[in-house]
Amino acid sequence: MSFIDWLGSPVNWVFLVVGLAILFSSWRVVTAKNVVHAALYLVAALGGAAILFLMLSAEFVAWVVVLVYIGAVLVLFLFGIMITRAPTGKDVGLDTPHKTSPALLSVATFVLLSWASIQAFGTTQVESVGEPTSTEVLGIALLGRFVIPFEVVSFVLLAALIGGVTIARRDLTPAEEEERRAV
Amino acid sequence: MTFEIDYLALAPELVIVGTMLAVFILDLLLTRPNKFWTATVAVAGTALAAVPLVILAAEGSTRSMFDGSYVVDEFAVILKGVFIVSAYIVLLMSHHYIESDRYYQGEYYFLLLSSVLGSLVMASARDLIILFIGLELTTGPLYLLAGWRKGDAKSNEASMKYFILGVLSTAVLLYGMSLLYGLTGEITFAGLAEATADMVDEPAVVVALFGLIVGFGFKISAVPFHFWAPDTYEGAPTPVTAYLSVNSKAAGFVAFLVVMYQALPGLSDIWAPALWILAAASMTVGNLAALRQTNIVRLLAYSSIAQAGFMLVPFAAAAVADADLAEAFSATLVYLVIYAVMNLGAFAVVIAGARKTRSGDIAGWAGLAQVDTRLAVLVAVFFFSLAGIPPLAGWFAKFAMFRSVIIAGGTATVVLAAIAAINSVIALYYYARVVKSVWLDDPVGEFAPDVEAAPAGSLRLALLVALAITVVIGFFPAIATFVGDASRVIASG
Repeated sequence: MSFIDWLGSPVNWVFLVVGLAILFSSWRVVTAKNVVHAALYLVAALGGAAILFLMLSAEFVAWVVVLVYIGAVLVLFLFGIMITRAPTGKDVGLDTPHKTSPALLSVATFVLLSWASIQAFGTTQVESVGEPTSTEVLGIALLGRFVIPFEVVSFVLLAALIGGVTIARRDLTPAEEEERRAV
Repeated sequence: MTFEIDYLALAPELVIVGTMLAVFILDLLLTRPNKFWTATVAVAGTALAAVPLVILAAEGSTRSMFDGSYVVDEFAVILKGVFIVSAYIVLLMSHHYIESDRYYQGEYYFLLLSSVLGSLVMASARDLIILFIGLELTTGPLYLLAGWRKGDAKSNEASMKYFILGVLSTAVLLYGMSLLYGLTGEITFAGLAEATADMVDEPAVVVALFGLIVGFGFKISAVPFHFWAPDTYEGAPTPVTAYLSVNSKAAGFVAFLVVMYQALPGLSDIWAPALWILAAASMTVGNLAALRQTNIVRLLAYSSIAQAGFMLVPFAAAAVADADLAEAFSATLVYLVIYAVMNLGAFAVVIAGARKTRSGDIAGWAGLAQVDTRLAVLVAVFFFSLAGIPPLAGWFAKFAMFRSVIIAGGTATVVLAAIAAINSVIALYYYARVVKSVWLDDPVGEFAPDVEAAPAGSLRLALLVALAITVVIGFFPAIATFVGDASRVIASG
């Protein structure tokens, strides 16, 4: 199929636009000199990913990306920047002089992965699933076939939560502890 | 479609979950002087988890759930046994260590038990999702535990290094797994084995395999993915280091080998040379670096890297030579089991010895035999066992390794065996140097008086258990062979 043919389908136009938007925002996430801007560009990149999921009829996953990543994680990012009073203006410390080798490595990885993917899938047309996967089906799968990983993940989160709080909290000095016990 | 849940098969995991929650709630209720109860509950719960395991082992049947993605067979039961026993020893080692300083106790046991739960799940995992999540639950809490000594910059560094490199390698591992799924549409090992059987020439499969090898290589701290290990081992609290070097390494090993062996046997032309290189590099780099160490924990860190290389030898050799993989798998497993016990013993000795000598330097341990003969004997036992000197358990591990290599045959295999043999000699040198320092050198510093340095009861018990297993396996290697034989279950499918 030639590129012109490919452009014949409107869905591919949407894909092209969204893909370029993701590419641009991801690029800006890395290059932005301002932390807040970087976080906002990440919102755009993840939003694009959500649209791609929608195009694949994976509605639930798309909304999870919106709710969890954009709604929760990134809002927490911004809160974190605000609360810790990190510099929100231009930050020269965000830049590093050692750019060349990571950049080369990234390009090499990109070339390798794209080449491998093209070799593997080439022009294979994946049939559309048609019906979007409903939340009901997903829920039944999560609590049926995949109940063990589902439950185990909750322990991963619980452990991360408890450990994170313990590591992050400020320890009382022995004197303060004494005082607290007296009260 | 409904799925039956076999509660007996899941009982060890469920007992650990119950213990975790009990520890957690107890920690909230107790005041600081009474926190030691959390340790007691954790130890008791871990011991209790062994009961359903014994029942399952006695029954000897294979229980399979969820389309064969969660399997409790003889192999899984043996591995769970290893994880439980080594967790039990680590908990005993932790008890006094954690209590004697200003650590958070309840949370410590909660996180350690989470990690144990992860390794139990992993032992039964026969699909990529469960395997990945089990592996993450095994290592995730350890990122935090490595930094448990919050006021200590070294401990912070240990945790940071481990975390950043760990997350990176996990990402690479996950990328490899998702590529595999994308290519085949399968997540169960059986399905993958079938789908990848004739995919050797597919570049994307090679990339996926590379991701898996990098990810697992990090978990077992094989060279060249070992850079985190020495600093993390040195900075983390010693019981955590012991756990890192045994449980989490064993979990990584099992995941690595089971995936290669069960899910990707058709690709052995690609992963066999990679394993060969990992094995040779880990042995050589680990041992040469260990020669130069003056700190005893760093010495054990490099020695554990080298031991990981030895463990890879049988499997790499057999795969390169296209020989019987089942034989090699059982040799690796025997090595793993024996290594687990003797390495835990060595760390328990380090904890006891560091209190007595007030030093982590090998030079500071000089003349320990003159003041504490029993401890000095234990140093000799565990370090000589690690070196592989009969009649201690370590000799049988080395014997099983070399035997499987000889069975495999072939030039590449013989070269690997030669590298292993040279490395065994190097290893003997630095293990023996510690023993020499303890027995033959004159003391350089003051030793702590017995009143404050006498090992606590739980530490004594940990030492006793490790000592008993090390000596008994040394004299009756048939016990370890039995463990190896159980691994053939997985070979038959």
